[in-house]
Amino acid sequence: MTNGVKTPPGFEEWLQSFKIPEEGFLKENVDKFTRFQEVMTTDAEPQVGQTPKETIWTKNKASLYHYAPAKKKTNQVPILFVYALINKAYILDLYPGNSLIEYLTDQGHDVYLLDWGVAGYEDRHMKLDDYILDYLPHAAKKVLRHSGAKELTLYGYCMGGTMTAIFAALYAKLLPIRNVVLMTSPIDFSEAGLYTKWLNKETFQLDKLVDVLGNIPFEMIDYGNKLLSPISNSMGTYINLASRIDNDQAVLNWKLMQTWLNDGVPFPGESYRQWIRDFYQDNKLINDELTVRGQDVRLQHITANLLNICAMRDNIVMPHQIQALNEKVSSKNKTLHEVPTGHVSVCTGRYAQKEIYPYVSEWLHNNSK
Amino acid sequence: MANQTSFDAFSVWKDLYNQTESAFRDSIQSTLEQPAFAESLGNIQKQYLQYQGVVNGMTESYLKTLNIPTRDEIASLAKLVINTESKIIDLEDQLEHIGDRSENNAKEIKLLKSSVGKLDKKLDTIIELLSKQPNETIQKATVVNAATPQKTATKTQSTTTVKPSSQAKK
Repeated sequence: MTNGVKTPPGFEEWLQSFKIPEEGFLKENVDKFTRFQEVMTTDAEPQVGQTPKETIWTKNKASLYHYAPAKKKTNQVPILFVYALINKAYILDLYPGNSLIEYLTDQGHDVYLLDWGVAGYEDRHMKLDDYILDYLPHAAKKVLRHSGAKELTLYGYCMGGTMTAIFAALYAKLLPIRNVVLMTSPIDFSEAGLYTKWLNKETFQLDKLVDVLGNIPFEMIDYGNKLLSPISNSMGTYINLASRIDNDQAVLNWKLMQTWLNDGVPFPGESYRQWIRDFYQDNKLINDELTVRGQDVRLQHITANLLNICAMRDNIVMPHQIQALNEKVSSKNKTLHEVPTGHVSVCTGRYAQKEIYPYVSEWLHNNSK
Repeated sequence: MANQTSFDAFSVWKDLYNQTESAFRDSIQSTLEQPAFAESLGNIQKQYLQYQGVVNGMTESYLKTLNIPTRDEIASLAKLVINTESKIIDLEDQLEHIGDRSENNAKEIKLLKSSVGKLDKKLDTIIELLSKQPNETIQKATVVNAATPQKTATKTQSTTTVKPSSQAKK
Protein backbone atom coordinates (compact mmCIF):
# COMPACT_ATOMS: atom_id res chain seq x y z
CA MET A 1 0.00 0.00 0.00
CA THR A 2 1.40 3.42 -0.98
CA ASN A 3 -0.08 6.86 -0.39
CA GLY A 4 -3.24 5.23 0.94
CA VAL A 5 -4.07 3.51 -2.44
CA LYS A 6 -4.95 -0.16 -2.09
CA THR A 7 -3.51 -2.55 -4.67
CA PRO A 8 -5.47 -5.65 -5.70
CA PRO A 9 -4.66 -8.76 -3.66
CA GLY A 10 -1.63 -10.59 -5.03
CA PHE A 11 -0.55 -7.62 -7.14
CA GLU A 12 2.61 -6.86 -5.16
CA GLU A 13 3.73 -10.51 -5.23
CA TRP A 14 3.15 -10.55 -8.96
CA LEU A 15 5.16 -7.32 -9.35
CA GLN A 16 8.02 -8.75 -7.32
CA SER A 17 8.12 -11.88 -9.48
CA PHE A 18 10.03 -9.91 -12.08
CA LYS A 19 13.82 -9.83 -11.89
CA ILE A 20 15.82 -6.66 -12.09
CA PRO A 21 16.14 -6.20 -15.87
CA GLU A 22 19.18 -7.89 -17.32
CA GLU A 23 21.33 -6.73 -20.15
CA GLY A 24 19.51 -6.95 -23.50
CA PHE A 25 16.00 -6.98 -22.07
CA LEU A 26 15.24 -3.58 -23.53
CA LYS A 27 16.29 -4.63 -27.03
CA GLU A 28 14.21 -7.81 -26.75
CA ASN A 29 11.11 -5.84 -25.82
CA VAL A 30 11.71 -3.22 -28.47
CA ASP A 31 12.12 -6.00 -31.09
CA LYS A 32 8.81 -7.51 -30.05
CA PHE A 33 7.05 -4.16 -30.20
CA THR A 34 8.56 -3.50 -33.63
CA ARG A 35 7.40 -6.88 -34.90
CA PHE A 36 3.93 -6.33 -33.41
CA GLN A 37 3.69 -2.97 -35.08
CA GLU A 38 4.83 -4.52 -38.41
CA VAL A 39 2.18 -7.23 -38.23
CA MET A 40 -0.51 -4.69 -37.47
CA THR A 41 0.44 -2.13 -40.09
CA THR A 42 2.91 -2.98 -42.83
CA ASP A 43 3.02 -6.77 -43.26
CA ALA A 44 1.48 -8.10 -46.46
CA GLU A 45 -1.78 -10.00 -46.15
CA PRO A 46 -1.30 -13.76 -46.52
CA GLN A 47 -2.52 -15.28 -49.77
CA VAL A 48 -5.67 -17.30 -49.13
CA GLY A 49 -7.56 -19.90 -51.20
CA GLN A 50 -4.56 -21.35 -53.01
CA THR A 51 -5.85 -24.80 -54.02
CA PRO A 52 -6.00 -24.82 -57.84
CA LYS A 53 -9.52 -24.44 -59.14
CA GLU A 54 -11.51 -23.61 -62.25
CA THR A 55 -14.84 -21.83 -62.53
CA ILE A 56 -17.33 -24.10 -64.23
CA TRP A 57 -20.49 -22.02 -63.88
CA THR A 58 -21.50 -18.53 -62.82
CA LYS A 59 -24.82 -16.85 -62.19
CA ASN A 60 -25.16 -13.25 -61.06
CA LYS A 61 -22.51 -12.97 -58.30
CA ALA A 62 -22.32 -16.70 -57.59
CA SER A 63 -19.55 -18.95 -58.91
CA LEU A 64 -19.24 -22.70 -58.94
CA TYR A 65 -15.64 -23.84 -58.60
CA HIS A 66 -14.13 -27.22 -59.31
CA TYR A 67 -10.98 -28.01 -57.37
CA ALA A 68 -8.45 -30.02 -59.29
CA PRO A 69 -7.72 -33.25 -57.45
CA ALA A 70 -4.03 -33.38 -56.60
CA LYS A 71 -4.06 -37.15 -56.90
CA LYS A 72 -6.17 -39.69 -58.71
CA LYS A 73 -9.86 -39.48 -57.90
CA THR A 74 -10.65 -42.44 -55.68
CA ASN A 75 -14.13 -41.37 -54.67
CA GLN A 76 -16.68 -41.31 -57.42
CA VAL A 77 -19.28 -39.25 -55.53
CA PRO A 78 -18.42 -35.54 -55.94
CA ILE A 79 -18.75 -33.13 -53.02
CA LEU A 80 -20.59 -29.83 -53.46
CA PHE A 81 -19.73 -27.32 -50.73
CA VAL A 82 -22.44 -24.77 -49.99
CA TYR A 83 -21.26 -21.73 -48.13
CA ALA A 84 -23.18 -19.17 -46.04
CA LEU A 85 -24.31 -15.71 -47.11
CA ILE A 86 -22.08 -14.27 -44.36
CA ASN A 87 -18.29 -13.87 -44.74
CA LYS A 88 -16.32 -15.42 -47.57
CA ALA A 89 -16.06 -19.03 -48.63
CA TYR A 90 -12.26 -19.19 -48.62
CA ILE A 91 -12.31 -20.20 -44.96
CA LEU A 92 -12.79 -23.69 -46.41
CA ASP A 93 -9.54 -23.30 -48.34
CA LEU A 94 -7.67 -20.95 -46.05
CA TYR A 95 -4.01 -21.75 -46.58
CA PRO A 96 -1.91 -24.69 -47.82
CA GLY A 97 -1.77 -27.22 -45.01
CA ASN A 98 -4.69 -25.54 -43.26
CA SER A 99 -7.44 -26.14 -45.78
CA LEU A 100 -10.35 -28.57 -45.66
CA ILE A 101 -10.76 -28.46 -49.43
CA GLU A 102 -7.07 -29.09 -50.06
CA TYR A 103 -7.15 -32.05 -47.67
CA LEU A 104 -10.19 -33.61 -49.32
CA THR A 105 -8.80 -33.19 -52.84
CA ASP A 106 -5.52 -34.73 -51.66
CA GLN A 107 -7.51 -37.69 -50.37
CA GLY A 108 -8.95 -38.29 -53.83
CA HIS A 109 -12.31 -36.59 -53.42
CA ASP A 110 -13.79 -34.58 -56.27
CA VAL A 111 -14.59 -31.21 -54.71
CA TYR A 112 -16.83 -28.37 -55.90
CA LEU A 113 -17.71 -25.14 -54.10
CA LEU A 114 -20.66 -22.83 -54.61
CA ASP A 115 -19.48 -19.36 -53.65
CA TRP A 116 -22.30 -16.80 -53.42
CA GLY A 117 -19.95 -13.89 -54.14
CA VAL A 118 -20.50 -10.35 -52.92
CA ALA A 119 -24.09 -9.14 -53.08
CA GLY A 120 -24.60 -5.68 -54.55
CA TYR A 121 -27.37 -3.19 -53.83
CA GLU A 122 -29.22 -4.62 -56.85
CA ASP A 123 -29.42 -7.97 -55.01
CA ARG A 124 -31.24 -6.55 -52.00
CA HIS A 125 -34.49 -8.25 -53.07
CA MET A 126 -32.91 -11.71 -53.26
CA LYS A 127 -34.64 -14.07 -50.84
CA LEU A 128 -33.39 -17.36 -49.46
CA ASP A 129 -36.01 -18.93 -51.75
CA ASP A 130 -34.11 -17.59 -54.76
CA TYR A 131 -30.78 -18.97 -53.59
CA ILE A 132 -32.26 -22.35 -52.68
CA LEU A 133 -34.47 -22.85 -55.74
CA ASP A 134 -32.70 -20.94 -58.51
CA TYR A 135 -29.04 -21.48 -57.70
CA LEU A 136 -28.59 -24.70 -55.74
CA PRO A 137 -30.42 -27.07 -58.13
CA HIS A 138 -28.51 -25.60 -61.07
CA ALA A 139 -25.21 -25.97 -59.26
CA ALA A 140 -25.99 -29.58 -58.26
CA LYS A 141 -26.90 -30.47 -61.86
CA LYS A 142 -23.72 -28.80 -63.13
CA VAL A 143 -21.66 -30.85 -60.67
CA LEU A 144 -23.31 -34.08 -61.80
CA ARG A 145 -22.81 -33.19 -65.43
CA HIS A 146 -19.20 -31.99 -65.02
CA SER A 147 -18.13 -34.96 -62.90
CA GLY A 148 -20.09 -37.54 -64.84
CA ALA A 149 -21.20 -38.98 -61.49
CA LYS A 150 -24.62 -40.46 -60.79
CA GLU A 151 -24.87 -39.14 -57.20
CA LEU A 152 -23.46 -36.29 -55.17
CA THR A 153 -22.62 -35.23 -51.62
CA LEU A 154 -23.87 -31.89 -50.30
CA TYR A 155 -21.61 -30.25 -47.72
CA GLY A 156 -22.93 -27.15 -45.94
CA TYR A 157 -21.16 -24.95 -43.44
CA CYS A 158 -22.90 -22.69 -40.91
CA MET A 159 -25.88 -20.96 -42.54
CA GLY A 160 -24.93 -22.71 -45.79
CA GLY A 161 -25.71 -25.95 -43.96
CA THR A 162 -29.19 -24.72 -43.04
CA MET A 163 -29.77 -23.85 -46.70
CA THR A 164 -28.38 -27.26 -47.69
CA ALA A 165 -30.77 -29.04 -45.31
CA ILE A 166 -33.73 -27.16 -46.80
CA PHE A 167 -32.56 -27.93 -50.32
CA ALA A 168 -31.97 -31.61 -49.49
CA ALA A 169 -35.50 -31.83 -48.05
CA LEU A 170 -37.09 -30.21 -51.11
CA TYR A 171 -35.04 -32.13 -53.68
CA ALA A 172 -34.82 -35.51 -51.94
CA LYS A 173 -36.71 -37.19 -54.78
CA LEU A 174 -35.64 -34.93 -57.61
CA LEU A 175 -31.87 -35.15 -57.36
CA PRO A 176 -29.59 -38.10 -56.51
CA ILE A 177 -28.32 -36.77 -53.17
CA ARG A 178 -26.25 -39.57 -51.64
CA ASN A 179 -24.81 -37.79 -48.58
CA VAL A 180 -25.44 -34.63 -46.63
CA VAL A 181 -22.65 -33.26 -44.43
CA LEU A 182 -23.39 -30.27 -42.23
CA MET A 183 -20.92 -28.34 -40.13
CA THR A 184 -22.16 -26.11 -37.26
CA SER A 185 -25.45 -25.53 -39.06
CA PRO A 186 -28.34 -24.18 -36.97
CA ILE A 187 -31.68 -25.97 -37.39
CA ASP A 188 -33.55 -25.33 -34.15
CA PHE A 189 -33.72 -21.64 -33.22
CA SER A 190 -35.90 -21.95 -30.11
CA GLU A 191 -32.97 -21.01 -27.87
CA ALA A 192 -30.15 -19.30 -29.77
CA GLY A 193 -28.45 -17.74 -26.76
CA LEU A 194 -27.95 -13.99 -26.79
CA TYR A 195 -29.26 -13.72 -30.35
CA THR A 196 -32.70 -14.84 -29.15
CA LYS A 197 -32.64 -11.98 -26.66
CA TRP A 198 -31.32 -9.33 -29.03
CA LEU A 199 -33.33 -10.24 -32.12
CA ASN A 200 -36.72 -10.37 -30.44
CA LYS A 201 -39.69 -8.90 -32.29
CA GLU A 202 -40.41 -6.24 -29.68
CA THR A 203 -37.11 -4.38 -29.79
CA PHE A 204 -35.21 -5.40 -32.93
CA GLN A 205 -35.98 -3.03 -35.83
CA LEU A 206 -35.90 -5.70 -38.53
CA ASP A 207 -38.20 -4.21 -41.16
CA LYS A 208 -36.87 -0.71 -40.81
CA LEU A 209 -33.30 -2.03 -40.99
CA VAL A 210 -33.91 -3.80 -44.30
CA ASP A 211 -36.05 -1.01 -45.74
CA VAL A 212 -33.52 1.71 -44.98
CA LEU A 213 -30.25 -0.10 -45.64
CA GLY A 214 -31.20 -2.49 -48.46
CA ASN A 215 -28.41 -4.94 -47.81
CA ILE A 216 -27.19 -5.37 -44.26
CA PRO A 217 -23.59 -4.17 -44.04
CA PHE A 218 -21.00 -6.72 -43.00
CA GLU A 219 -19.83 -4.48 -40.16
CA MET A 220 -23.25 -4.61 -38.51
CA ILE A 221 -23.27 -8.41 -38.49
CA ASP A 222 -19.67 -8.44 -37.34
CA TYR A 223 -20.41 -6.14 -34.38
CA GLY A 224 -23.25 -8.44 -33.40
CA ASN A 225 -20.98 -11.47 -33.43
CA LYS A 226 -18.24 -9.68 -31.52
CA LEU A 227 -20.70 -8.49 -28.93
CA LEU A 228 -21.27 -12.10 -27.88
CA SER A 229 -17.92 -11.99 -26.14
CA PRO A 230 -16.81 -8.36 -26.25
CA ILE A 231 -13.58 -8.41 -24.24
CA SER A 232 -12.01 -11.46 -25.83
CA ASN A 233 -13.12 -10.37 -29.31
CA SER A 234 -11.61 -6.91 -28.95
CA MET A 235 -8.64 -6.96 -26.55
CA GLY A 236 -8.09 -10.72 -26.45
CA THR A 237 -7.34 -10.98 -30.16
CA TYR A 238 -4.40 -8.58 -29.88
CA ILE A 239 -3.16 -10.03 -26.60
CA ASN A 240 -3.01 -13.42 -28.31
CA LEU A 241 -0.92 -11.97 -31.09
CA ALA A 242 1.38 -10.10 -28.72
CA SER A 243 2.04 -13.12 -26.54
CA ARG A 244 3.12 -15.22 -29.53
CA ILE A 245 4.73 -12.52 -31.63
CA ASP A 246 8.05 -14.40 -31.91
CA ASN A 247 6.34 -17.54 -33.26
CA ASP A 248 6.10 -17.15 -37.04
CA GLN A 249 3.53 -19.91 -37.48
CA ALA A 250 1.29 -18.46 -34.78
CA VAL A 251 1.58 -15.00 -36.35
CA LEU A 252 0.67 -16.42 -39.77
CA ASN A 253 -2.39 -18.19 -38.34
CA TRP A 254 -3.43 -15.00 -36.56
CA LYS A 255 -3.12 -12.99 -39.75
CA LEU A 256 -5.06 -15.57 -41.74
CA MET A 257 -7.89 -15.52 -39.26
CA GLN A 258 -7.99 -11.72 -39.09
CA THR A 259 -7.90 -11.49 -42.87
CA TRP A 260 -10.97 -13.69 -43.10
CA LEU A 261 -12.83 -12.15 -40.15
CA ASN A 262 -12.44 -8.63 -41.53
CA ASP A 263 -13.25 -9.59 -45.11
CA GLY A 264 -17.00 -9.91 -44.87
CA VAL A 265 -19.78 -9.44 -47.37
CA PRO A 266 -23.11 -7.61 -47.12
CA PHE A 267 -26.12 -9.79 -46.36
CA PRO A 268 -28.82 -9.43 -49.07
CA GLY A 269 -31.67 -7.51 -47.43
CA GLU A 270 -34.67 -9.77 -48.11
CA SER A 271 -32.66 -12.88 -47.23
CA TYR A 272 -31.73 -11.22 -43.94
CA ARG A 273 -35.34 -10.34 -43.21
CA GLN A 274 -36.32 -13.97 -43.88
CA TRP A 275 -33.37 -15.37 -41.93
CA ILE A 276 -34.15 -13.34 -38.82
CA ARG A 277 -37.96 -13.57 -38.99
CA ASP A 278 -38.55 -17.15 -40.14
CA PHE A 279 -35.63 -18.68 -38.28
CA TYR A 280 -34.57 -16.64 -35.22
CA GLN A 281 -37.95 -15.13 -34.39
CA ASP A 282 -40.49 -17.74 -35.56
CA ASN A 283 -38.33 -20.89 -35.59
CA LYS A 284 -40.25 -22.27 -38.56
CA LEU A 285 -37.80 -24.84 -39.92
CA ILE A 286 -37.77 -27.37 -37.10
CA ASN A 287 -41.52 -26.92 -36.56
CA ASP A 288 -42.42 -27.84 -40.17
CA GLU A 289 -43.82 -24.37 -40.80
CA LEU A 290 -41.28 -23.10 -43.30
CA THR A 291 -42.31 -22.64 -46.90
CA VAL A 292 -39.95 -21.86 -49.73
CA ARG A 293 -41.72 -20.26 -52.69
CA GLY A 294 -44.92 -21.99 -51.66
CA GLN A 295 -43.36 -25.41 -51.08
CA ASP A 296 -43.51 -26.87 -47.59
CA VAL A 297 -40.12 -27.78 -46.18
CA ARG A 298 -40.17 -31.02 -44.21
CA LEU A 299 -36.84 -32.10 -42.82
CA GLN A 300 -38.15 -35.67 -42.49
CA HIS A 301 -38.02 -35.85 -46.30
CA ILE A 302 -34.23 -36.03 -46.04
CA THR A 303 -33.24 -39.65 -46.62
CA ALA A 304 -29.60 -39.19 -47.64
CA ASN A 305 -26.80 -40.37 -45.35
CA LEU A 306 -26.23 -37.61 -42.81
CA LEU A 307 -23.08 -36.46 -41.03
CA ASN A 308 -23.90 -33.59 -38.69
CA ILE A 309 -20.83 -31.97 -37.12
CA CYS A 310 -21.45 -30.06 -33.92
CA ALA A 311 -18.83 -27.77 -32.31
CA MET A 312 -19.27 -27.94 -28.56
CA ARG A 313 -17.51 -24.61 -27.83
CA ASP A 314 -19.46 -22.67 -30.44
CA ASN A 315 -21.03 -19.47 -29.12
CA ILE A 316 -22.52 -18.43 -32.47
CA VAL A 317 -24.50 -21.63 -33.09
CA MET A 318 -25.29 -23.51 -29.88
CA PRO A 319 -24.82 -27.30 -29.95
CA HIS A 320 -28.51 -27.97 -29.26
CA GLN A 321 -29.45 -25.91 -32.32
CA ILE A 322 -27.51 -28.40 -34.45
CA GLN A 323 -28.34 -31.67 -32.73
CA ALA A 324 -32.08 -31.34 -33.36
CA LEU A 325 -31.67 -32.27 -37.03
CA ASN A 326 -30.68 -35.87 -36.37
CA GLU A 327 -33.99 -36.54 -34.64
CA LYS A 328 -35.93 -35.02 -37.49
CA VAL A 329 -34.55 -36.63 -40.67
CA SER A 330 -35.59 -40.02 -42.08
CA SER A 331 -32.03 -41.04 -42.98
CA LYS A 332 -31.17 -44.57 -41.90
CA ASN A 333 -27.49 -43.71 -41.77
CA LYS A 334 -27.09 -40.60 -39.60
CA THR A 335 -24.19 -39.52 -37.43
CA LEU A 336 -23.91 -36.67 -34.97
CA HIS A 337 -20.21 -35.91 -34.54
CA GLU A 338 -19.40 -33.65 -31.58
CA VAL A 339 -16.03 -31.90 -31.59
CA PRO A 340 -14.34 -29.73 -28.92
CA THR A 341 -13.92 -26.65 -31.13
CA GLY A 342 -15.51 -23.29 -31.81
CA HIS A 343 -17.55 -22.11 -34.77
CA VAL A 344 -14.56 -21.39 -37.01
CA SER A 345 -11.95 -23.74 -35.56
CA VAL A 346 -14.19 -26.60 -36.72
CA CYS A 347 -12.78 -26.12 -40.21
CA THR A 348 -9.40 -24.51 -39.66
CA GLY A 349 -6.55 -24.87 -37.21
CA ARG A 350 -4.55 -27.67 -35.67
CA TYR A 351 -7.40 -29.72 -34.20
CA ALA A 352 -9.39 -29.56 -37.42
CA GLN A 353 -6.36 -30.67 -39.43
CA LYS A 354 -5.51 -33.57 -37.16
CA GLU A 355 -8.94 -34.84 -36.17
CA ILE A 356 -11.82 -33.40 -38.17
CA TYR A 357 -10.43 -33.50 -41.71
CA PRO A 358 -9.46 -37.21 -41.52
CA TYR A 359 -12.78 -38.09 -39.88
CA VAL A 360 -14.81 -36.33 -42.58
CA SER A 361 -12.71 -37.82 -45.36
CA GLU A 362 -13.11 -41.34 -44.01
CA TRP A 363 -16.85 -40.92 -43.49
CA LEU A 364 -17.23 -39.67 -47.06
CA HIS A 365 -15.06 -42.48 -48.37
CA ASN A 366 -17.13 -45.10 -46.54
CA ASN A 367 -20.37 -43.62 -47.78
CA SER A 368 -19.33 -43.07 -51.37
CA LYS A 369 -18.74 -46.68 -52.40
CA MET B 1 10.96 -15.05 -5.23
CA ALA B 2 11.95 -18.42 -6.65
CA ASN B 3 9.79 -17.95 -9.77
CA GLN B 4 11.27 -14.66 -10.88
CA THR B 5 11.17 -14.06 -14.64
CA SER B 6 12.80 -11.59 -16.99
CA PHE B 7 10.62 -8.55 -17.65
CA ASP B 8 8.52 -8.96 -20.79
CA ALA B 9 6.13 -6.12 -21.50
CA PHE B 10 3.79 -8.38 -23.52
CA SER B 11 3.58 -10.95 -20.73
CA VAL B 12 2.66 -8.18 -18.32
CA TRP B 13 -0.01 -7.03 -20.75
CA LYS B 14 -1.34 -10.57 -21.06
CA ASP B 15 -1.42 -11.09 -17.28
CA LEU B 16 -3.23 -7.81 -16.80
CA TYR B 17 -5.72 -8.78 -19.50
CA ASN B 18 -6.35 -12.20 -17.98
CA GLN B 19 -7.02 -10.70 -14.57
CA THR B 20 -9.28 -7.99 -16.00
CA GLU B 21 -11.14 -10.37 -18.28
CA SER B 22 -11.91 -12.87 -15.53
CA ALA B 23 -13.05 -10.04 -13.23
CA PHE B 24 -15.37 -8.39 -15.75
CA ARG B 25 -16.53 -11.31 -17.90
CA ASP B 26 -19.44 -12.43 -15.74
CA SER B 27 -20.78 -8.96 -15.09
CA ILE B 28 -20.57 -8.05 -18.79
CA GLN B 29 -22.24 -11.30 -19.75
CA SER B 30 -25.12 -10.76 -17.33
CA THR B 31 -25.55 -7.22 -18.66
CA LEU B 32 -25.73 -8.51 -22.22
CA GLU B 33 -28.47 -10.92 -21.19
CA GLN B 34 -30.67 -8.22 -19.68
CA PRO B 35 -33.87 -7.28 -21.58
CA ALA B 36 -32.90 -3.66 -20.95
CA PHE B 37 -29.75 -4.17 -23.00
CA ALA B 38 -31.75 -5.51 -25.96
CA GLU B 39 -34.11 -2.57 -25.55
CA SER B 40 -31.27 -0.05 -25.63
CA LEU B 41 -29.81 -1.79 -28.69
CA GLY B 42 -33.21 -1.38 -30.35
CA ASN B 43 -33.30 2.31 -29.45
CA ILE B 44 -29.83 2.93 -30.82
CA GLN B 45 -30.84 1.08 -33.97
CA LYS B 46 -34.02 3.14 -34.30
CA GLN B 47 -32.13 6.41 -34.00
CA TYR B 48 -29.42 5.35 -36.40
CA LEU B 49 -31.97 4.21 -38.98
CA GLN B 50 -33.91 7.43 -38.63
CA TYR B 51 -30.73 9.39 -39.29
CA GLN B 52 -29.73 7.09 -42.17
CA GLY B 53 -33.20 7.39 -43.70
CA VAL B 54 -32.91 11.18 -43.70
CA VAL B 55 -29.41 11.00 -45.22
CA ASN B 56 -30.64 8.61 -47.93
CA GLY B 57 -33.57 10.89 -48.79
CA MET B 58 -31.39 14.00 -48.91
CA THR B 59 -28.75 12.29 -51.03
CA GLU B 60 -31.36 11.09 -53.46
CA SER B 61 -32.97 14.48 -53.91
CA TYR B 62 -29.53 16.08 -54.24
CA LEU B 63 -28.52 13.64 -56.97
CA LYS B 64 -31.82 14.15 -58.78
CA THR B 65 -31.37 17.91 -58.68
CA LEU B 66 -27.93 17.53 -60.23
CA ASN B 67 -29.36 15.12 -62.80
CA ILE B 68 -27.04 12.33 -61.62
CA PRO B 69 -28.34 8.74 -61.45
CA THR B 70 -29.27 7.63 -57.95
CA ARG B 71 -28.23 4.35 -56.34
CA ASP B 72 -31.68 2.89 -57.03
CA GLU B 73 -31.46 3.79 -60.70
CA ILE B 74 -28.02 2.24 -61.10
CA ALA B 75 -29.21 -0.84 -59.22
CA SER B 76 -32.21 -1.24 -61.51
CA LEU B 77 -29.86 -1.07 -64.48
CA ALA B 78 -27.70 -3.76 -62.89
CA LYS B 79 -30.87 -5.80 -62.34
CA LEU B 80 -31.61 -5.63 -66.07
CA VAL B 81 -28.13 -6.97 -66.79
CA ILE B 82 -28.66 -9.77 -64.26
CA ASN B 83 -32.00 -10.67 -65.84
CA THR B 84 -30.37 -10.78 -69.26
CA GLU B 85 -27.64 -13.02 -67.88
CA SER B 86 -30.31 -15.32 -66.42
CA LYS B 87 -31.91 -15.62 -69.82
CA ILE B 88 -28.54 -16.45 -71.38
CA ILE B 89 -28.01 -19.11 -68.70
CA ASP B 90 -31.44 -20.57 -69.49
CA LEU B 91 -30.58 -20.66 -73.18
CA GLU B 92 -27.24 -22.27 -72.36
CA ASP B 93 -29.07 -24.93 -70.34
CA GLN B 94 -31.47 -25.57 -73.18
CA LEU B 95 -28.58 -25.84 -75.64
CA GLU B 96 -26.87 -28.30 -73.33
CA HIS B 97 -30.09 -30.27 -73.14
CA ILE B 98 -30.44 -30.27 -76.91
CA GLY B 99 -26.76 -31.21 -77.19
CA ASP B 100 -27.30 -34.13 -74.82
CA ARG B 101 -30.32 -35.27 -76.79
CA SER B 102 -28.59 -35.02 -80.18
CA GLU B 103 -25.58 -36.84 -78.72
CA ASN B 104 -27.88 -39.63 -77.59
CA ASN B 105 -29.66 -39.61 -80.93
CA ALA B 106 -26.33 -39.88 -82.76
CA LYS B 107 -25.38 -42.85 -80.60
CA GLU B 108 -28.69 -44.57 -81.27
CA ILE B 109 -28.43 -43.93 -85.01
CA LYS B 110 -24.92 -45.39 -84.99
CA LEU B 111 -26.18 -48.50 -83.19
CA LEU B 112 -29.10 -48.79 -85.56
CA LYS B 113 -26.77 -48.46 -88.56
CA SER B 114 -24.50 -51.22 -87.38
CA SER B 115 -27.41 -53.59 -86.66
CA VAL B 116 -29.00 -52.84 -90.04
CA GLY B 117 -25.59 -53.48 -91.66
CA LYS B 118 -25.33 -56.84 -89.92
CA LEU B 119 -28.87 -57.70 -90.93
CA ASP B 120 -28.09 -56.75 -94.50
CA LYS B 121 -25.07 -59.04 -94.59
CA LYS B 122 -27.08 -61.91 -93.18
CA LEU B 123 -29.81 -61.38 -95.75
CA ASP B 124 -27.21 -61.36 -98.53
CA THR B 125 -25.79 -64.63 -97.22
CA ILE B 126 -29.24 -66.16 -97.07
CA ILE B 127 -30.16 -65.04 -100.56
CA GLU B 128 -26.87 -66.33 -101.91
CA LEU B 129 -27.30 -69.70 -100.26
CA LEU B 130 -30.91 -69.99 -101.29
CA SER B 131 -30.12 -69.26 -104.87
CA LYS B 132 -27.52 -72.10 -104.91
CA GLN B 133 -29.13 -74.90 -102.87
CA PRO B 134 -32.69 -74.30 -101.83
CA ASN B 135 -33.12 -77.22 -99.42
CA GLU B 136 -29.81 -76.74 -97.61
CA THR B 137 -30.38 -73.00 -97.39
CA ILE B 138 -33.64 -73.47 -95.52
CA GLN B 139 -31.84 -75.52 -92.91
CA LYS B 140 -28.96 -73.05 -92.67
CA ALA B 141 -31.35 -70.11 -92.46
CA THR B 142 -33.08 -71.82 -89.54
CA VAL B 143 -29.73 -72.16 -87.81
CA VAL B 144 -28.97 -68.48 -88.45
CA ASN B 145 -32.40 -67.52 -87.13
CA ALA B 146 -31.78 -69.36 -83.92
CA ALA B 147 -28.55 -67.44 -83.37
CA THR B 148 -29.94 -63.95 -84.12
CA PRO B 149 -32.11 -61.67 -81.90
CA GLN B 150 -35.89 -61.98 -81.95
CA LYS B 151 -36.73 -59.14 -84.33
CA THR B 152 -34.05 -60.01 -86.85
CA ALA B 153 -35.03 -63.65 -86.65
CA THR B 154 -38.64 -62.87 -87.48
CA LYS B 155 -37.68 -60.83 -90.51
CA THR B 156 -35.23 -63.46 -91.77
CA GLN B 157 -37.80 -66.20 -91.32
CA SER B 158 -40.39 -64.37 -93.34
CA THR B 159 -37.84 -63.93 -96.11
CA THR B 160 -36.90 -67.58 -96.08
CA THR B 161 -40.49 -68.76 -96.25
CA VAL B 162 -41.20 -66.68 -99.31
CA LYS B 163 -38.07 -67.48 -101.32
CA PRO B 164 -38.19 -71.29 -101.27
CA SER B 165 -41.87 -71.37 -102.22
CA SER B 166 -41.19 -69.14 -105.20
CA GLN B 167 -38.23 -71.28 -106.16
CA ALA B 168 -40.31 -74.42 -105.65
CA LYS B 169 -42.78 -73.11 -108.18
CA LYS B 170 -39.95 -72.81 -110.66
